Amino acid sequence: MEFHQPTTLDDALTLLAADPEALPLAGGATLVAMLNAELIEPSALVSLGGICELHTIEATPEGGLRLGAMLSHATLASEARLTGGNAVMRQAAAQIAHPAVRNIGTLGGAVAHGDPSSDLPAALVAADAVIEVAGPSGRRSIAAEGFFEDYLTTALEEGEMVAAVILPPQPESAVGHYEKFARVHGDYATLSVAVVLAMASGKCSHVRIALGAAGATPVRVVAAEARLIGSSLDAGAISEAAALLTAASDPVDDVRGSADYRLMLVPRLLTRALAAAGGAP
Amino acid sequence: MINITLKVNGEERALSLPATRTLLAALRNDMKLTGSKNACNQGVCGACTVLLDGVPVNACLVLAANVAGREIVTIEGLGEGGKLSPMQQAFVDAGAIQCGFCMSGMIVSATAFLAENPKPSRKEIRQALSGNLCRCSGYVRVIDAVELAAGRSGA
Repeated sequence: MEFHQPTTLDDALTLLAADPEALPLAGGATLVAMLNAELIEPSALVSLGGICELHTIEATPEGGLRLGAMLSHATLASEARLTGGNAVMRQAAAQIAHPAVRNIGTLGGAVAHGDPSSDLPAALVAADAVIEVAGPSGRRSIAAEGFFEDYLTTALEEGEMVAAVILPPQPESAVGHYEKFARVHGDYATLSVAVVLAMASGKCSHVRIALGAAGATPVRVVAAEARLIGSSLDAGAISEAAALLTAASDPVDDVRGSADYRLMLVPRLLTRALAAAGGAP
Repeated sequence: MINITLKVNGEERALSLPATRTLLAALRNDMKLTGSKNACNQGVCGACTVLLDGVPVNACLVLAANVAGREIVTIEGLGEGGKLSPMQQAFVDAGAIQCGFCMSGMIVSATAFLAENPKPSRKEIRQALSGNLCRCSGYVRVIDAVELAAGRSGA
């Protein structure tokens, strides 16, 4: 197998375009595990580790943050600029698997893998992030909400890869929170709730909610958010919002919990997440 | 085959290996450093944990060719001059070892953790070692051992 270590994104894209059976190698936390299990047999690997651009964090002109695809989960988990509403990303990254995996796994790798039980997709949708994709015909930006299309299926096309994630500036008083429920520390979520919430004079002025492990993609329901906006996040409003989210969820039965059990967790974790984000009465 | 050098336990090692050779396989098969264990080969059990530039990683999830030129410390490199490291000694003294298979990963993880958090609570120790599975399920004395090492280093 060929092993390439390009130092620019353009070179990486050229290598990937020249060989449809080649795969980009980010941190390896998923790809190397799949190699070890003989689930994949790429003709070549294009390592992205040497591409400086993919390791940077920079402020955007709009007041948000641009996160390079090769940032590790451990780096995101300790990134001081992920505050306010964008803290949902820091918290989600801090709860991915275990320390040794967080030191290897990358933002771009997790985004491209598109596993709905993993922690970042829901956080990205709650934060209204934009995925910056690079490919043979240039760059394009895709809202996180539209990027995750199905189980392990994203909007990435042949020869494309994730270059960065752009987090928008969140409302001034917004607080982000990632509420993860797992039976064992470091496991995939049985269910998770990512929220970005802002309160003004005791009323909800902004909220975005996305559920993880609740379906083939992160689950977001605009009507559920609309039910909460303007409310004091009283139990009645939360219960109605949770019912809308539950109705839109289609979780799997697996070793981490039955579908029914996961649905039962929705109102409970939503209540916890909103309280943790400052919506508690 | 790809030619690389790695700095392993302070020593430069020149290797010629295929692109798919994991760091774990390179350590165990090419360098005969068999302290790091191969169990799940999926990044789940932590038995292969080594330090890569000072931070713990699952050696089974790292391709050796992808870390050329970087610094690796394995369980064999923790002690100095034939003596056990303080963490190794604490695991012995606390009686933390049953069959021993998970120990190298546990001790490498715990060593990196204590360097970052010298006065951890038991809960923090449990979380830090959550990626290291012990199939004897002998976790209590493992946590005791890390506490013992923390207490000694603070003395």
